[in-house]
Amino acid sequence: MSLVKVEKLRKYFPLSKFRRGRFVKAVDGVDLNVEKGEILGILGESGCGKSTLGLVMSRLELETSGRILFDGKDLSGTLRLNTETRRRIQIIFQNPYDSFDPRLSVKTSLLTPLKIHKIGKNDEERLKIVAEYMEKAGLIPYDDFLRRYPHELSGGQLQRISVLRAMMLKPDFLVADECVSMLDVSVRAEVINLLLDLVESNSTATMFITHDISLGKYVSNRMAVMYLGKIVEIGKTEDIMNNPLHPYTRILMSYSPSLFKRIERIPVEGEVGSVVGERKGCYFAGRCPFSTKACFEIQPSLVEVEDGHHVACLEVEKQL
Amino acid sequence: MKLKEFWKRYFEHPYGVAGFVIFAVLLFMAIFAPLISMGKPNEMSGDILSPPSLKYPFGTDHLGRSVYSRIVYGTRVSLSVGFVAAGLSALIGIFIGAFSGYFGGMVDEVMSKIIDSFLMIPVFFLILIIVAIFGSNLFYIMLVIGLTTWPRNARIMRAQTLSLKERAFVKVAKSLGEGDLRILMTHIIPNGMYPVVANSALQMGGAILAEAALSFLGLGDPNITSWGKMINEARTYMAFAWWTIVFPGIFIILAVVAFSFIADGLQYALYPKLKEVEESG
Amino acid sequence: MDEVLVIENLTVVYTKNGKRIKAVDRVDLKVNQGDMIGIVGESGSGKSTLAHAVMGLLPSNGFIAEGKIRLLGYEITRLNDDEMRKIRWKEFSMVFQKSMNALSPVHKIGEQMKEAVIVHEPEIGETEVESRMKKVLDMVNLPHRVLKSYPHELSGGMMQRVMIALALINNPKFVIFDEATTALDVVTQGQILDEIKNLVERLSLTGMVITHDIGVVAEICNKIAVMYAGRIVEEGPKEKILYDPLHPYTKALISSHPELAEGGGRMRGIPGNLPDLSKEIKGCVFAERCPHAEKICFDDRPGFVKISGRKVACFKIKEVEE
Repeated sequence: MSLVKVEKLRKYFPLSKFRRGRFVKAVDGVDLNVEKGEILGILGESGCGKSTLGLVMSRLELETSGRILFDGKDLSGTLRLNTETRRRIQIIFQNPYDSFDPRLSVKTSLLTPLKIHKIGKNDEERLKIVAEYMEKAGLIPYDDFLRRYPHELSGGQLQRISVLRAMMLKPDFLVADECVSMLDVSVRAEVINLLLDLVESNSTATMFITHDISLGKYVSNRMAVMYLGKIVEIGKTEDIMNNPLHPYTRILMSYSPSLFKRIERIPVEGEVGSVVGERKGCYFAGRCPFSTKACFEIQPSLVEVEDGHHVACLEVEKQL
Repeated sequence: MKLKEFWKRYFEHPYGVAGFVIFAVLLFMAIFAPLISMGKPNEMSGDILSPPSLKYPFGTDHLGRSVYSRIVYGTRVSLSVGFVAAGLSALIGIFIGAFSGYFGGMVDEVMSKIIDSFLMIPVFFLILIIVAIFGSNLFYIMLVIGLTTWPRNARIMRAQTLSLKERAFVKVAKSLGEGDLRILMTHIIPNGMYPVVANSALQMGGAILAEAALSFLGLGDPNITSWGKMINEARTYMAFAWWTIVFPGIFIILAVVAFSFIADGLQYALYPKLKEVEESG
Repeated sequence: MDEVLVIENLTVVYTKNGKRIKAVDRVDLKVNQGDMIGIVGESGSGKSTLAHAVMGLLPSNGFIAEGKIRLLGYEITRLNDDEMRKIRWKEFSMVFQKSMNALSPVHKIGEQMKEAVIVHEPEIGETEVESRMKKVLDMVNLPHRVLKSYPHELSGGMMQRVMIALALINNPKFVIFDEATTALDVVTQGQILDEIKNLVERLSLTGMVITHDIGVVAEICNKIAVMYAGRIVEEGPKEKILYDPLHPYTKALISSHPELAEGGGRMRGIPGNLPDLSKEIKGCVFAERCPHAEKICFDDRPGFVKISGRKVACFKIKEVEE
């Protein structure tokens, strides 16, 4: 059984309070399973709905419709979870400086969640747990960091603390939303490697949201590519990387900046927009260099092309 | 910490400093009134309507009471009206604004309508009506001012809450298992209340003025010496005893100006206009 | 005139909260005709400050404490604001990261482009302006109808193309691209980089590309200067820097790229933090984080050594190379 199972998940944002039926479809019918212990990369450009999907799945934002099952329990339709379920689902955001209450010291920010979940008998014991994690994260001497306030730390240090704050609770499901994209390249490794160490040792299922293909490839076992609120391709990372099938995935990869490889770019027009109201056919058809008349009429659904590799494209489907 | 930086910025602002100095002097007068008043405020003497002199620095009124002593004691009244009324207003505003913004939905819908309709009420006339019905008592006056001026604070706090709610640390707090009440009390209110504090400084001045106006109209608390009441009593004599009206007038203006200066300083410390350019690469 | 830009011993200081921060610390740099040099660095490296100093656009709390900038024969450091205004955008220009802020939201793109021409050439005829605007729009693959649009009607990618067109409209001899594609999505970034690359080749543009992303530099530059904590640590032809970096910082920076963590290996970063730039740094700025640092690295500032086709500022360069 999958740890997290999402069915026909939709999240629409109303464009106006008074005009009904005008929505931006941020997440538009996503079916997704996250297996215990796996790292699932969610790849997409800005506006594809990947962050909204993360917020909805971590139960911080209510869906418009659809179902979310977590460890067999139906969590759909409510954001009121019991403390234990809250502990089991954690999230890490992009901006470390925004992820900490600027008024609270690192110590307070780290001890509070432990207190809430009754981890450790007293503050002394909790401090010991914190110290252990701080040392794992290379934040030594730890008491020097605990005394400080968020703005007194570098982005890389603070993001490592936000990783360990989430992982101290030993969650079963973690959403990491662009968790290093604000950091300098040279400090990303420390954050990513800490995240991987903790996630692997706790076998936490992780949804790693990113726009960076090479990072997604490095981190994840499985990868889903999103475009305008829909998953267009999903599969094992090596399958997606070596054999990308959806035209959008192929285009994305051909434009991904690379130091060493020169990939022939696939010409494409326009930019990611947003879907408002009803639209027929494949959302990518208008920009797709391979689209046919049918693509504008019929909405493709995910079809398995090889073991665990699903693609939502009529042209790919035809060639099967 | 952050607070230290805040005050550092505050004292960069010349108005802020001036406001603080005047306020400190007034506060000193209020606290040490018996020591510096040179006599009791209600003590009558034979020197009726005598001009300022060494014995009576601001002269005496029609009953031979020292204007200076009365002003010194009047500071207590004005400052407590300012503090209690604005404090009450801030407290109600902060809680209603924060709850309304945080929970959203119907709660917010209803609260916003209430806030908007309250904002349309002409506060001073409401006070007049209440005084007319319940009689004049300093406590009522403070209460009424506090209970009618909170909507502006609520509106400020609601806007703050709406933006704080979207901040990652509030979302993280929720995900870490912190309850709504805890999030409101430890993250939203402490981080969002500063603009309300700045507005409260302004409201303190407003409350002092309102009390003075009431007293001037003869609707003040009859048992209390206040600046407004002094002006009211001096109306008849001002043509030939200017000091009876000028000195209390000056102090009302000083207090109102001080609080508006403080509000300016707080505003400046909150929203630095001259943002330094962050070196980013 | 072969040397288009000569920077000598340039030091730029910011004052912030009463502290003096050396954002650029005695930098020497030359850009020759036809070179597109990438200034690569992470935050706090001083790369943007360097570009702004060249353009004479330092913010009010920053100033040039020392050194000379000669651009196209003009002594930038000696010109006053009026003199700078006459030549900026005509002789040299810049493309910013946040294009939205650079344009007026209430005027059409066409009006603003026209204005940019007329300011420098008041006698120019209407048709001449028109044809010039169309020419630059063609260069950046924008339809002519953009001239009748307002900035908010355009997408991020189109706006960035407008900014490039604006920068090129007066045929400048030197162009700075300051994180020009950073805020864009992968596909748009790739497309615009391709366009810039074509323009650089077709117009044989001379200029600078300021970026934190080595990938960007790899696409459009022929030379690279790597900056760290206000200093240039390595400078040379692109291939040398990318495929055979010598300075420990350059090496570490390139190997931080996740692309290099192939085959199950872990990503490598650079432990430690940027040094405090408000304090005087006697030695090498990278010494604190450098795995090869010795006593001399902390005591003396390394000068440039010319070695295998590039310049490196590192005492240990021979040992490191092995």
